[in-house]
Amino acid sequence: MAKPMTLNICHLYPDLMDTYGDRGNILTIQYRCKQRGIKVIYSPLTINDKLLANYDLYFFGGGQDQAQCIVEHDLAKKSAALRQAVDRGAVLLSICGGYQLLQKYFVTTEGKEIPGIGLFNAFTEASETRMMNNLLIEINPKLLSNIQKTYQSTMNHEPRTMNHLIGFENHSGKTYLEEGTMPMGKVLKGSGNNGQDKTEGAVYKNAFGCYLHGSLLPKNPHFADLLISKALEKNYGKIKLKPLDDSIEWQAHNSAISIIR
Amino acid sequence: MDFKLFLAILVGKLTSFLIKLKGGGATAAPGLYALYIDPNLVKKLAKKNGLNSIVISGTNGKTTTARLVSDILGTKYKIIHNRAGSNLLRGVASTLITNSSLSGALCCRLALWEADEAALLPISKQLQINTLVLLNLFRDQLDRYGEIDTTRKKWQEVVKNLKSDASLILNTDDPSVNYLSKFTKSKKIFFGLETTKIDLPKVENVADVKFCPNCQAKLKYEDLYSAHLGTYKCSRCSFKRENPQVSITSITFNKNYSTNIKISINKESLSVNYQLPGLFNAYNVMAALASTIALGINVKSAAKDICKFTPVFGRYQNIMLDGKNLLLFLIKNPAGANEVIRTIAAKEKINLLLILNDNTADGRDVSWIWDTNWEALAGKTSNIDIAGTRAWDMALRLKYANIKIVQKNVHKDLNTAIIQAIGKLAKDDTLYILPTYTALIGLQAYLKNKGIISWQSQ
Repeated sequence: MAKPMTLNICHLYPDLMDTYGDRGNILTIQYRCKQRGIKVIYSPLTINDKLLANYDLYFFGGGQDQAQCIVEHDLAKKSAALRQAVDRGAVLLSICGGYQLLQKYFVTTEGKEIPGIGLFNAFTEASETRMMNNLLIEINPKLLSNIQKTYQSTMNHEPRTMNHLIGFENHSGKTYLEEGTMPMGKVLKGSGNNGQDKTEGAVYKNAFGCYLHGSLLPKNPHFADLLISKALEKNYGKIKLKPLDDSIEWQAHNSAISIIR
Repeated sequence: MDFKLFLAILVGKLTSFLIKLKGGGATAAPGLYALYIDPNLVKKLAKKNGLNSIVISGTNGKTTTARLVSDILGTKYKIIHNRAGSNLLRGVASTLITNSSLSGALCCRLALWEADEAALLPISKQLQINTLVLLNLFRDQLDRYGEIDTTRKKWQEVVKNLKSDASLILNTDDPSVNYLSKFTKSKKIFFGLETTKIDLPKVENVADVKFCPNCQAKLKYEDLYSAHLGTYKCSRCSFKRENPQVSITSITFNKNYSTNIKISINKESLSVNYQLPGLFNAYNVMAALASTIALGINVKSAAKDICKFTPVFGRYQNIMLDGKNLLLFLIKNPAGANEVIRTIAAKEKINLLLILNDNTADGRDVSWIWDTNWEALAGKTSNIDIAGTRAWDMALRLKYANIKIVQKNVHKDLNTAIIQAIGKLAKDDTLYILPTYTALIGLQAYLKNKGIISWQSQ
């Protein structure tokens, strides 16, 4: 029998960026790997911990404003390793505050520019409006075609469509993508990056940033599996993930969409 | 004669009359309409009647603590109390209107208010606060309240405005609440746990406060009781937990969901047994007894009233139905839900009915269920039924906590869910019902309809 595959997850600042229920993303990756006999090694890293570039998947969630300020100072020290990892093909998922900190800069309400690490070619401006909505997006075509290649479910009835991601957004920062930056998708319901240009999230290589809480991955299993297979691909080449019974996942996905449609 | 006030009271009374005529139980509407006419109605009535107010606020435990204080005061005084739990300014206005004559004369001069944490500031500006009880501050419905620092800053303004002869009662185990003591000129009474022996299963914690509210350095915890409640001090400045005047020195949780405590009040020790489970209720009991000191009531007699206390609807309430027990535990945020899970996880073969709604009053974002430690129930459940607008989100959360879900037990309709869940019980079995706020209201309507409870028993 072949040696089981291993997935190394790095959870960035789980003690600080843990306010908005994003932990479900980690639980989902762990669960879906376990079901397939893939070994998961989970490493939580926080302030002052040294970050290495050798993880397969990085996760960075949202936190309270105060925590975000503290993280911001520390992140500069981890920036080089994170960038190196992503350039080598590691997967990164960042949500809300995590997403904002990985952009070029953040403009405060006083007009002060706080530099970020610039992984995503985008920036965020503070605003007075709180964007709190169920957020439904149509996945961008390139990303969707990758998802369609990787995702399979054992369930008898196929999901109505794999075209969407559904979650809940809660942010006041407005994010603008710079020329050439690919969004994760087009906003169908909700505000997305900034409430104006209908874009949501950003993609750079296998790094993703977005405003989708919910948690995002549990009820978007097609996207969860894309992250897992991309993260494994780095070490094991193209692989086919064993299909799982995702009927509850799709029920949750579809019913969340039907609430807002 | 203040014509505006008169008209506001009249409209309020009429609204209330019409609602009652239709058999409704809404408690906020009369106040809402009256405040449209006279936004200063509460302030005017309070001032005119020399009304002294006791105000209780916090994320978890407001309703139960207010009921405890009400039971203690009720045996001695006539009081006005927003009992039905309508705890925004409009709820305060409604309650005052009910207890007022058309000319604005109130029936008594003492009032007890449960106040929503975000509404505390506007409410406090309208009242003469004699005693203010602040229970705790947890992350709750981020889409409604924002982050907890936002609420704490509002509370800071409230305590700043307290008069020097008023009493401020604070939970010393909660860093954000304790920190407020710095901003007041009023008298202060702290309450907190003074025992580390807590005989409940451990659950993974969600600490919403990790940094010193004074200097932002990391807080160091010696003991952690629940969420971020514990014994702590700042790693940099002099901020630390204050010694409590009211403290539980030993606690035993009984199988029948009653609790025995030894409580020290100004160095005098008392043994109390009360009919409420869980660690949160221990905090509520401490808060209630601390406020009796502020009000100058004999503590021993107050403790007797607490022994006789019966739970509030939906908050650890036990309902008997054809020899079967229904136990209701309202859930609304990770800190509270984790304590509920901890309380019931001590049992085996648990029958569960979970109802997760995402209406405005529940919080439209259900992400919080992913920060709640359902894993503690894995391997301990028997039948699980799930309902609510977000039933499938709940089912999925349990699946990822390694709890087996049968898909046909995920229900669209609340009544079907209740009937099926009860139908699976054998005699003497207990069904644990965990609803979010609006689900609790739905459940209440169902039970009322079946004649199992009446509005009076809420």
